[in-house]
Amino acid sequence: MVGKYPTIKAYIRPDGSVGVRNYVVVIPVDDLSNTAALGVAKLIRGVVAIPHPYGRLQFGKDLDLLFHILSGTGANPNVYGAIVIGIEENWANRVADGIAKTGKPVYVFPIEGNGDLRTIEAAARKAKELVQEASEVQRTEVDLTNMMFSIKCGESDTTSGLASNPATGYAVDKLVDLGNTVMFGETSELTGAEDIVAGKIKDEKLRDNFWRIYQEYVGFIESQGVDLLGSQPTEGNIKGGLSTIEEKALGNIQKLGTKPITCVADYLDPVPRGAGLCFVNTSSAAAEAVTLFAAKGSVLHLFTTGQGNVVGHPIIPVIKISANPKTVRSMSEHIDVDVSDLLELKVSLAEAGERIFNYALRVMNGRLTAAEVLQHDEFSPIKLYISA
Amino acid sequence: MSRVVIHDRGDSVGVAVEDVRAGDDVEVVYIVDKSVVGKVRALENIPLGHKIALKDIKTGDRVIKYGRPIGVATRDIRAGEHVHTHNLKSIRWGGLTRR
Repeated sequence: MVGKYPTIKAYIRPDGSVGVRNYVVVIPVDDLSNTAALGVAKLIRGVVAIPHPYGRLQFGKDLDLLFHILSGTGANPNVYGAIVIGIEENWANRVADGIAKTGKPVYVFPIEGNGDLRTIEAAARKAKELVQEASEVQRTEVDLTNMMFSIKCGESDTTSGLASNPATGYAVDKLVDLGNTVMFGETSELTGAEDIVAGKIKDEKLRDNFWRIYQEYVGFIESQGVDLLGSQPTEGNIKGGLSTIEEKALGNIQKLGTKPITCVADYLDPVPRGAGLCFVNTSSAAAEAVTLFAAKGSVLHLFTTGQGNVVGHPIIPVIKISANPKTVRSMSEHIDVDVSDLLELKVSLAEAGERIFNYALRVMNGRLTAAEVLQHDEFSPIKLYISA
Repeated sequence: MSRVVIHDRGDSVGVAVEDVRAGDDVEVVYIVDKSVVGKVRALENIPLGHKIALKDIKTGDRVIKYGRPIGVATRDIRAGEHVHTHNLKSIRWGGLTRR
């Protein structure tokens, strides 16, 4: 097993995927089931509840996307096993079926006909078993290949485009060269650099698919006829010196590194392991994007920030990287990797990139990120349109 | 001496990598090889991360960063002035309010 690849100690799942954390999760299918899910987590040590505000009266593609995100989160290699709680059994089973495909344990508890208290008791008894089973699963040495990662920037400023993003791009190149998947997205935030992104896609079919996704997304934004200043770029972006969407996009794409894009995925498309650099259609909101990447299988996220975004995720470590010396000082508890010396021209891009890569290895081996310790457990499914 | 950096040799704005004060003489550094490619005197305070004009830019001119247009100047900008949302707007999304 150990060969030309760097190795990490991680968890091998029944489907052969590799996780860097070992959670038992309780997934509510809908807003009404959050209370029961949180009730289970209150009773059982080592269980992570993942509440969210949706799941009732959604329909069509929007409902498919919610199922995709809930099932994908349970199926994520960082999860040992899952409990699914829903007001109705049918939709809960659909979410559970998506998780069961990976071969990991998953159990469904419907609330209707039982009430919260009986549901919580039954689910808690099962959760207790799962946590005890999970506690005996050992990390084993595996090659750092055929794994899934993701990248995004947030509350960016010009220091992101100058330093933290290109340094992250260096680490991305290494992960791709080792045969891993690295997902990126932020569809609207490519505006002004979308032709550069398209140029990295050598396969014509994939490139056409990228253009279709991009034009549909940005077409909707432009159809609203509103000024996006303050939304995209955000107030934080502007405070940090970014003036226009084009400037933000050109900084954003620095983190893609130098490899070709070999995978393009719309909201509902699965992303395979070992797919290389992969564009995933996402909003540019931090928690929404990280939530979708995790649902598609990312086990670790590299997140660059200029002005200081604090996002995390319930089941995947989010590594915060900043090159803004003021942010590194004023928000030190949130920043995992300080590359402000790259901005100050004191180190090379390769040195800063290696620092990020090596830190990622430590986190894969078990070191907790700032966001994990600070309990930043944002879980924000993307909602495409109104419910019925 | 204070420094600003450029991404591309054709850029018409540089980014302050430290707080720059009005009146400072500023070195312009090319990020790729760290060479000093010019000098400019700051006419205004330029906070860390903000842009300074490296040459005179006329109303309607494209402002260049990363060797690419990042928007157009909405008023005349002199070399050394702060370049931001007060004098630069997006080409792509800048006119969305006036449809």
